[in-house]
Amino acid sequence: MSGVLGAFLRRDFREAVTYKFSFVSSLAGMLLSLATFYFVAKLVPPGSPSLGPFGGDYFSFAVVGVAFSGLLGMFQEGLSAVVRSAQLSGTLEALLVTPVPIPVILFGSSLYSLLFQIFRTALHLAVAAAFFGLAFGRVDVAGVAAVGLLTVVCFLSVGVLSASFILVYKTGNPFSWILGTVSGLLGGVVFPVSLLPPWIRWASSLLPVTYALDGMRKSLLASAPFSAVLPDIAALAVFDVLLVPLSLAAFRLAVRKAKKDGTLSHY
Amino acid sequence: MSQAPAVLVQGLVKRYPVFRGFRELIRHPFDRRTVTALDGLDLEIGPGRVFCLLGPNGAGKTTLIKILAGLVLPDGGRALAGGRDVAREPGPARSAVGCAIGDERSFYWRLTGRQNLEFFGALYGLRGPAGRRRIDELLRLAGLDEAADLRFSGYSTGMRQMLSLARALLADAAILLVDEPTRSLDPQAADRTREFLRDELAGRRGKTVLWATHDLGEAADCADDIAVISRGRIRLGGPAASLAAGGREALRRAYEKAVGEAEGRP
Repeated sequence: MSGVLGAFLRRDFREAVTYKFSFVSSLAGMLLSLATFYFVAKLVPPGSPSLGPFGGDYFSFAVVGVAFSGLLGMFQEGLSAVVRSAQLSGTLEALLVTPVPIPVILFGSSLYSLLFQIFRTALHLAVAAAFFGLAFGRVDVAGVAAVGLLTVVCFLSVGVLSASFILVYKTGNPFSWILGTVSGLLGGVVFPVSLLPPWIRWASSLLPVTYALDGMRKSLLASAPFSAVLPDIAALAVFDVLLVPLSLAAFRLAVRKAKKDGTLSHY
Repeated sequence: MSQAPAVLVQGLVKRYPVFRGFRELIRHPFDRRTVTALDGLDLEIGPGRVFCLLGPNGAGKTTLIKILAGLVLPDGGRALAGGRDVAREPGPARSAVGCAIGDERSFYWRLTGRQNLEFFGALYGLRGPAGRRRIDELLRLAGLDEAADLRFSGYSTGMRQMLSLARALLADAAILLVDEPTRSLDPQAADRTREFLRDELAGRRGKTVLWATHDLGEAADCADDIAVISRGRIRLGGPAASLAAGGREALRRAYEKAVGEAEGRP
């Protein structure tokens, strides 16, 4: 298994280094985003009540939101993106005739992007702390680990649901739209959910990103103890319990349907 | 006692759903129209034989190969590769076949030929010094040792086809499935590919080759056995020595008669 995953990593690294300016442009995009939020944050006075639970500093709030929502987006869409890309490039069939199980092909194909996005998120936070004054609190490692683990499982499950949809219907992935676009508005990425009017605030409680960002910010920025993030951990655990079996069943059904219809490698 | 067949297909049926537009879906939501690709196909290929499958476009050649490769599930009947049922034991059945069925888009164009084989080789468990030796051997066998470290995007169509055959040999499976391997090749490259399949893979290495082609001359020259498929069934089959005994023209006449009868033409 590790040899197979290593082969996928080597393949994607070898391809990535042939695109010489990709990393440079991605780094430039990150710096521009940080600079933008640095100046926007000057409009928000420190100690705003809605930022209180997250350390009180808008720049830190927004940077953690943007950095982690990018990471979660990759977990959510990485798997379906690799299926779509292999359908379009024509490599899917060649992968599927190998003895490697389809879930391993799927995970292996997206592993490099996922690891690279984790590195990018860490770099984002490190650059923000070193040059723009991102203020970490007393970081609760257990809280970060628990929220992080449950969040990864949750968003990978959504990723498997998306990949199942793409295997059968090829485009128009509704999970990406619902959880990607709506999460940007209602999930508390760049402003606290408490600012939303009550009639719509309930919708944010249905989105896993709300709990993921809430737990991460409290653990990273607000020096909150583990007990303070327990509600977020409980909510994410409920999402995991529902989404893991659902996504695995959907994936099995999707592979079977695509093989029955003869459309496994169609695009 | 006769040897067990390398490939055994009995009563194989495959129907694909017909694509319908929104209007049709709204007017007849429960209508499930299908088109029949394989209609109770029977086939047996002995070990070490080169079996050429001829037939017009849409006859079912590629569907049969994709079922044997595990990419498509049959609706009825059974297909065995190396004695394993492709629907019931997909893992072992897949290990029994090597496939050269994808077109040139099935490679990573920004990687070299060697890097492509290293990647696919790792998926077949070829790693470390033994894996590298095997890949060197396959590159040499395919005549690509000098071009091994060039990017795939710089390969000619003939070189891409040879790399595709080299990839099909990574697992050293006993059965090779090849779908129109000489399509788009110039005459010299096509001859090299035919010699490689017939003399090297089948002749020296004892592989069973199921070879789909439109080229009657290719079948007459290379096959041990020939079958003509039309409308999802085998319409004519037998040893090449007998079907092509009267030369290519005799094979052409037999082919046209078999296909014409299947299509209801006089």
